[in-house]
Amino acid sequence: MNGLGTSFLSRRALLASGGAATAALATGVASARIPPSSMQALIGPGYRPTEVDEQGLWQQVERVEEEIAGSNLLIKAPGIEDYLRQLIGKVGGPAARDMRIYLVRVPEFNAMMFPTGFTVFFSGLLLRMRNEAQLAGVIAHESAHFLRRHMIRQWRDMKRKSDLFAVGMMALGLGGAGAGVYTGDIARLAQLGTILTLLRYSRTLEAESDAMGARLLAEQGYPPLEMADTWQQLIGELDLSAKYRRKPRERDLSLFSTHPAPESRMKDLRATARELTVPGRIYDNGRARYLQAIAPIRQMLLDDQVKLNDPGATQYIINTLAQDGWNGLLRFYEGENWRLRNRAGDDLRAAQSYAVAVAYPDAPPDAWRWHGLSLIKQGRRPEGRAALTRYLGLQPNAPDAPFIRQMII
Amino acid sequence: MRLGKHALVALAAVGLSACSSLGGGEGFSSQYYTATPVRSVNVGNGAMAVTPPRPWNKQRRLFLDDVIWVEDWTLNGPLLDSLTFVTALPDKKNLVRQRTTDDRQVPMFRSTMTIPEVTSMLESAYRVRAGAIDFKTLSLAPRPFMGHLGFQYDYEHLDSDELWRKGRAVGAIVNGRLYLIMLDAARSHYYPDTLRDFEALVASAQLRR
Repeated sequence: MNGLGTSFLSRRALLASGGAATAALATGVASARIPPSSMQALIGPGYRPTEVDEQGLWQQVERVEEEIAGSNLLIKAPGIEDYLRQLIGKVGGPAARDMRIYLVRVPEFNAMMFPTGFTVFFSGLLLRMRNEAQLAGVIAHESAHFLRRHMIRQWRDMKRKSDLFAVGMMALGLGGAGAGVYTGDIARLAQLGTILTLLRYSRTLEAESDAMGARLLAEQGYPPLEMADTWQQLIGELDLSAKYRRKPRERDLSLFSTHPAPESRMKDLRATARELTVPGRIYDNGRARYLQAIAPIRQMLLDDQVKLNDPGATQYIINTLAQDGWNGLLRFYEGENWRLRNRAGDDLRAAQSYAVAVAYPDAPPDAWRWHGLSLIKQGRRPEGRAALTRYLGLQPNAPDAPFIRQMII
Repeated sequence: MRLGKHALVALAAVGLSACSSLGGGEGFSSQYYTATPVRSVNVGNGAMAVTPPRPWNKQRRLFLDDVIWVEDWTLNGPLLDSLTFVTALPDKKNLVRQRTTDDRQVPMFRSTMTIPEVTSMLESAYRVRAGAIDFKTLSLAPRPFMGHLGFQYDYEHLDSDELWRKGRAVGAIVNGRLYLIMLDAARSHYYPDTLRDFEALVASAQLRR
């Protein structure tokens, strides 16, 4: 905190100070799990703030929503927006009709709820969900932040307990967010969220959202255990990503802020799920509905992830999705992941994946393209030409057709 | 490779404010750029020579992003347009400098790459280093470059600053090394405005060793 005199205050510094205050808040709070039955909504339909501080907060956040609503990074795929709205209607509790959801094309596992009741989901989150229950679980968790008025509670708690300096920093962050720090760069929304720090909740508030989210999920007939599974998937992905780059797990995601140790959080979620599961009741994870809903964008979601060349994370995601069955699309992207990783022997690994991918009826035309190219690289020219011919047959107007045609002459 | 746009602008802004008392108004500070002469100049590691039709601004090598085989120019500033020269990039080397611990990495170049693999490497560079959210290949076609069998790659991308940019790369692999000239500019106005310069540069490009 020595660098305060400088005019340039990094977001990380803000984050650190907010985090310190939050940690102070959490001190003395036992890590006891919150019983889901105790989590009642604190707001009803049509809630509007009546007190000055909350009104001010709303006013500033409404400007952020205006920017997001007009962003050209929003995904406008047919049916997807309706589908998400429908899910929020299901698990959004009493204020379901007041909530808005925006899906932005950012290949990250992230979602955030803003104080006025709108939530932003990153497309990378949709990629990672195995079924509707998992997605509904995240929506329910985010809804719970709104229903339990977490932003204003955290804000007031901080003002009460922290030293004056920390409050000043927070006000600076808030003022900045309202007055144009947000520049329309949605990929940095997560950082904006941390500037607000209100989105970085204390351990208690996260535990509240977990408990209430799980209850909202179970009430709608989804298996509540799926929330713990989502969390496990996140941990597994971060671990494998870090392992591939030979370093410890470090990435911080505001989806489930990191105050409670991830492992203990998952344990609590499992206990909550057991408590909520009614013996004999049939739960539906809605996998078929989910796959149908995201079908128009699934290849795009995979493409956006794989081309980032984060091989550990990608491999984990693909293997997780493949637990429900391999198909041509997943095999193709498995091959792409090896090809981009580009270590010794990866070209052969990729070639094998492409060869398997094209045996599936749902193999995308690109699978034939890369299958052909890898065969040619291996010196298997006649087979390679046949595969590339197949690719051009499937996609005669492919943008690279002139180049591929020249390769198979 | 000029892919760290935001970092660059931040640095340029610091440069500007530092010398604002001098009147400035020239846009980007000369601390980071030098004007290119309008005659044949060697670029990158000197393995290629080009002749610009008018002066461009050569970016100095002071960013961590830079590697010796890559040189960047701009006319109106790197957020609006940029030219990248890749000269004799050898096997197992990278277009950008990166840490082995970075989660997301631009794939390294390999001499054995097919051209579609090279263009895929460029796409990943835009996604990993320039924050491209959407990336579309517009065309990939054969095109001679410096007397060798080469390619022309056209593409456009939407970046996280919500601006659509458009690019063209013309290149070839010669003796296992990658040679490339790339134009990347805001799709409206700046791309069409600088394309003629790009084409003149490509036509003038000569292999030096």
